[in-house]
Amino acid sequence: MSAKLVMKQVTKTYGDGDGAMTVLNNLDLTVNEGEFVAVLGPSGSGKSTFLSAAGALLTPTRGEIFLDGESLRDKGKGELTELRLQKIGFMFQSAQLLPFLKVEEQLLYVAKLAKLSTKDAKVRAAYLLKRLDIWERRHHYPEQLSGGEKQRVAIARAWMNKPAILFADEPTASLDYSRGREVVRMIADEVRSEGKAAVMVTHDERMLEWCDRVLHLEDGVLVEAHS
Amino acid sequence: MFLALREMRHSKARYSLIMVIMLLVSFLVLFVTGLARGLAYANISALKNMPANYFVVQSDADHTFRRSQLGGTELAAVRAVAGVAKATPLGVQTSTITASGADVKADITFFAVDMTGMLAPEVTEGTGITNEVQGSAVADSKLEQSGVTIGSTIRDQASGMSWTVTGFVKDSSYSHTPVVYINPLDWQAMKQGAVQGGIADSTGSAPYNVIALDVTAAQADQIAGQQQAVEVITQKQAVSSVPGYAAEQNSLLMMIVFLFVIAAVVLAVFFYVITIQKTSQFGILKAMGTKMSYLAWSVVGQVMLLSVASLALGILLTLGMNMGLPDTMPFELDGQTMAMTSLLFIGMSLLGSLISVARVARVDALEAIGRTGA
Repeated sequence: MSAKLVMKQVTKTYGDGDGAMTVLNNLDLTVNEGEFVAVLGPSGSGKSTFLSAAGALLTPTRGEIFLDGESLRDKGKGELTELRLQKIGFMFQSAQLLPFLKVEEQLLYVAKLAKLSTKDAKVRAAYLLKRLDIWERRHHYPEQLSGGEKQRVAIARAWMNKPAILFADEPTASLDYSRGREVVRMIADEVRSEGKAAVMVTHDERMLEWCDRVLHLEDGVLVEAHS
Repeated sequence: MFLALREMRHSKARYSLIMVIMLLVSFLVLFVTGLARGLAYANISALKNMPANYFVVQSDADHTFRRSQLGGTELAAVRAVAGVAKATPLGVQTSTITASGADVKADITFFAVDMTGMLAPEVTEGTGITNEVQGSAVADSKLEQSGVTIGSTIRDQASGMSWTVTGFVKDSSYSHTPVVYINPLDWQAMKQGAVQGGIADSTGSAPYNVIALDVTAAQADQIAGQQQAVEVITQKQAVSSVPGYAAEQNSLLMMIVFLFVIAAVVLAVFFYVITIQKTSQFGILKAMGTKMSYLAWSVVGQVMLLSVASLALGILLTLGMNMGLPDTMPFELDGQTMAMTSLLFIGMSLLGSLISVARVARVDALEAIGRTGA
């Protein structure tokens, strides 16, 4: 078992002096291989800040973050971009597919960024799209897809470059209950079958059935849920 | 270009509209440039087509041919340097003529040239004239359109002298008036008044206006240095000193410059607005690990593609338009001017796209997280 994500004493403070607001306060977290972690919290609890810091989008004020064993400290903007490309798969709220790319191209694009050969990329894209049961829709534009289908494409896109860890930002926000559960189940399936890790940020407590661990973000730290 | 091309494929209507606007702007730029060039050529084609690269003018004549007066002494001195064949005198006289047998009254410019020298007109219709026979002239073909034909007699209103038109030349205008070529004998006759008025040169003949030269730059310098009262100017300087030429061209140049500025601003604003609309997309792309350089090339590549395609269509449209233009509307667009204009147009588009690139650079990948928008 190797740790895919380690956050050590991570603190993020906005502003300074008396007006300073501490969003993350000496937060610790370890996510291991094959683990699917859910982070719950009401809006304004710092979920976005937590996800941005873990996803190498935001540099914390203090503390250290390791992604797949690699420290994020002292990395330049370009290196972080490269690291996000190689090590992290992102799922955004409302899928956030590129409106002008067909389903298959959404996947081919990230593969192209990672300099994967077109042939390999097509094989990988076909594999993922078939697994997520969206293969028939590969030549459709996002506007022609339902919300659930869009999120399935987003899952496929996130796993395309075989990242070490997947970060999902409210993946079920724009979906109804049953479709939301379906999407979360699929993320969990992928985590297990690919031997990777995933962190999902959500405020919806009904979506936790498939998660290995559920944490609450309270006062800038993560607390194990007692259910 | 992966993104740029697919984006255009997806939003065909939007990018077609941009292309139409770019096409119209590029067409306007090329067309006005062509008209300006045409007008310039129609103005001074007689000078432009002369096989002379330098002109000797009197130093107090402000480069203007008609103000300059040179006599045999200067000619002899210049010929000592340049050689007889490479330096030939030119008399210029603006006047008004009437033609027999036709209801014509036209402003023309007389060019008195040595009919065996390098300035001798190249007759395209009819026959030329010689230095020996008086009373014959060769006229610009524009006079033919006014009703003058070969064999017509034209009469100079100022001097009362008459010539029989024996032939026509093409593209020979000076200050927008057709040029009538006469030989030195007729020039002397025309200028009898000047001779009697006491401004004849040492040999007793009437003065010429300028001396046309076909010499090297070093020779031109030598001629300029050797005489106090004369100045050697290039053909370009001579052209821009033709009365009205500079004013006309400056107005047109101003229009073209403004067209370029407007084109650049319109394109820049268009792409900027589109870029702002796509801000969230750029955030997502950056979060997923797209390098800024990739996005910059995507934006610039798109602008390049659109401007080159529009420009190509604009050139076709301009050439097509040129074919449909009536002869009285002068239009001149040589390859070099077209290439320069095209390069400038593409350069301006690229410059405009850089504003969008700067906007993209400011987009933070963080914007991707916690967004609810589609």
